[in-house]
Amino acid sequence: MEKEIIKLKNVCRNYKLGNSIVRAVRNADLKINSGDFVAVVGPSGSGKSTLMNLIGALDLATNGEIFLDNKNIEHLTESNLAQIRGKKIGFIFQSFNLIPTLTALENVTLPMFFQNVSKKEREDRAKELLFELGLKERENHLPSELSGGERQRVAIARALANDPDVVLADEPTGNLDSKSGEKVLDILKDLNKKGKTIIIVTHDMHMAKKARRIVKIKDGKI
Amino acid sequence: MISKEMMVYSLRNIWNRKLRSFLTVLSIFMGIATIFIFISFGLGLYEYIEKTTAGTSADKIIVQPKGAGLIGLSDDFVLTEDDLRAVEKSSGVYEATGVYIKAVEVKQKTKTKYAFLTAYDPKKPLIMQISNVGVDEGRGLKSGDKGKVVLGYNYKIKDKIFSEPYELNDKIEVQGQDLRVVGFFEKVGSPQDDSNIYITNDFIDDLYPDKNNSYSWIIAKVDSEKIKGVVLDVENNLRKTRDVKKGKEDFFVQSFEDLIKSYSIVLNIIIGFVVLIALISVIVSVINTSNTMVTSVLERVKEIGIIKSIGARNSDIFDIFLFESGFLGFVGGVLGVLLGVLFTTIGGYVLENLGWGFLQPSYSPYLFIGCILFAVLTGAISGVLPAINASKIKPVDALRYE
Repeated sequence: MEKEIIKLKNVCRNYKLGNSIVRAVRNADLKINSGDFVAVVGPSGSGKSTLMNLIGALDLATNGEIFLDNKNIEHLTESNLAQIRGKKIGFIFQSFNLIPTLTALENVTLPMFFQNVSKKEREDRAKELLFELGLKERENHLPSELSGGERQRVAIARALANDPDVVLADEPTGNLDSKSGEKVLDILKDLNKKGKTIIIVTHDMHMAKKARRIVKIKDGKI
Repeated sequence: MISKEMMVYSLRNIWNRKLRSFLTVLSIFMGIATIFIFISFGLGLYEYIEKTTAGTSADKIIVQPKGAGLIGLSDDFVLTEDDLRAVEKSSGVYEATGVYIKAVEVKQKTKTKYAFLTAYDPKKPLIMQISNVGVDEGRGLKSGDKGKVVLGYNYKIKDKIFSEPYELNDKIEVQGQDLRVVGFFEKVGSPQDDSNIYITNDFIDDLYPDKNNSYSWIIAKVDSEKIKGVVLDVENNLRKTRDVKKGKEDFFVQSFEDLIKSYSIVLNIIIGFVVLIALISVIVSVINTSNTMVTSVLERVKEIGIIKSIGARNSDIFDIFLFESGFLGFVGGVLGVLLGVLFTTIGGYVLENLGWGFLQPSYSPYLFIGCILFAVLTGAISGVLPAINASKIKPVDALRYE
């Protein structure tokens, strides 16, 4: 039987927007097994990004329970949440979100730094990841000196730095041309084959079809 | 503690905002430099006081006029032979002597200058023991040295007091009389002291024949163990001879130590006041640094979100921003101290050449370390609130922030 890595039980997330309350996610139930490749699809404003933030422990639910690796993350301290984010989850963002003042290599070593990995180990691992993603020649470049596709691959390398169980990608190809986008998607599929749980958030059905499972969200409901 | 990697990250952020960082540092280092300059000159003055009074002054007391009359210029205040006897017979007094201090006219060719003349008894050179200045050239005064003078150091120097320097055995015109130079005193380092003229006290009536000359100071050598009691007894005896009531004295008696102490107190107040003003500029720089850090946090909200999403704890973020502001303080402190050293060195050199050689800076390692630590501390304090704010930013909000 496959291991359940993510479980949402009746999760709600409300925002205050001025005087009104926006119910971004409503009574969501979701189970994702280890090694799955899930696409969360929905139109913009449907709550899919909020859902991703909840899964990635970037945000806490207003109601309901979220389990990561069978651990309820609702009552964890900020420090513990940071540890979980760093260790168990790798984020890939639409706008790459690299640190502009750090080189590609330094960007990739950073998550390991927060997990107290030794300096030597950090560098070896980061170099290996960049090599695998075809960025060996670019490791000492700043993000501003890299193309969009290259930046996203650096971001992927960073997401993989601590060898997380889950990779969360929010519109990972949104800012890329179709060729680079395909490449990123191939990398994600490849990672899934190696056993990583991949969750991508997208509004692009073409991309979602590459996933093994599609979760549709509309008006905050799954 | 912050790690090397985070330091590199912080330093690059500071470097990326060069202009703003520079302006912030500028505001810090002005204050630090000011504090450094005044404290180093203050230390120099303390050292000077200590050096010139060391050892020889603990057993001396001085009787001086109280009130407005300036020594040597005013004839209102008179200390007579009777007063000297009164001091001499007080218990605990070993010896006492009267000293005349007068303003005199000194002439070289057509040039006239005014200087202070000190007349003392060469058998009881208590005043010279207090000031701790030795003879530089020639000899000191001897009893019966009529028509002879010992000059302050500056008379030896060309263009200092007069265009022509004096040498031993030269004649110098004082109060219309030609006197022979028998010696020069060592350099003191203040223009007034270095232009003093010294004669024996039994020559004063020859120099001022038509005046009823009286002492400006009475100096006594006393039992230093009982100095407080001696001062009281001298006061008591002087009240009797001068016929004044307690609380209405026109004189005051002080041990030389107390006199120096009262100078030191004035010095402390002046230095304290100036440092206080400098501290205000430091407070301004704290506000300025805070402002820089608040802006820096706002600019980097998204970055804070990113590093939180890859595992940074609140404390990591706090450390980064606190380090940045502390580092700005450190740079400001180092630059402030460097500027302070430069300024005090030049200032000391200029003052030396103007004849104010006793006004010299003094550097202690504590001053350097203290100034830099103080700068780091003010920088860090400025950064505390912005750093707390930065660390509390929620990652989900931060990532959405544009």
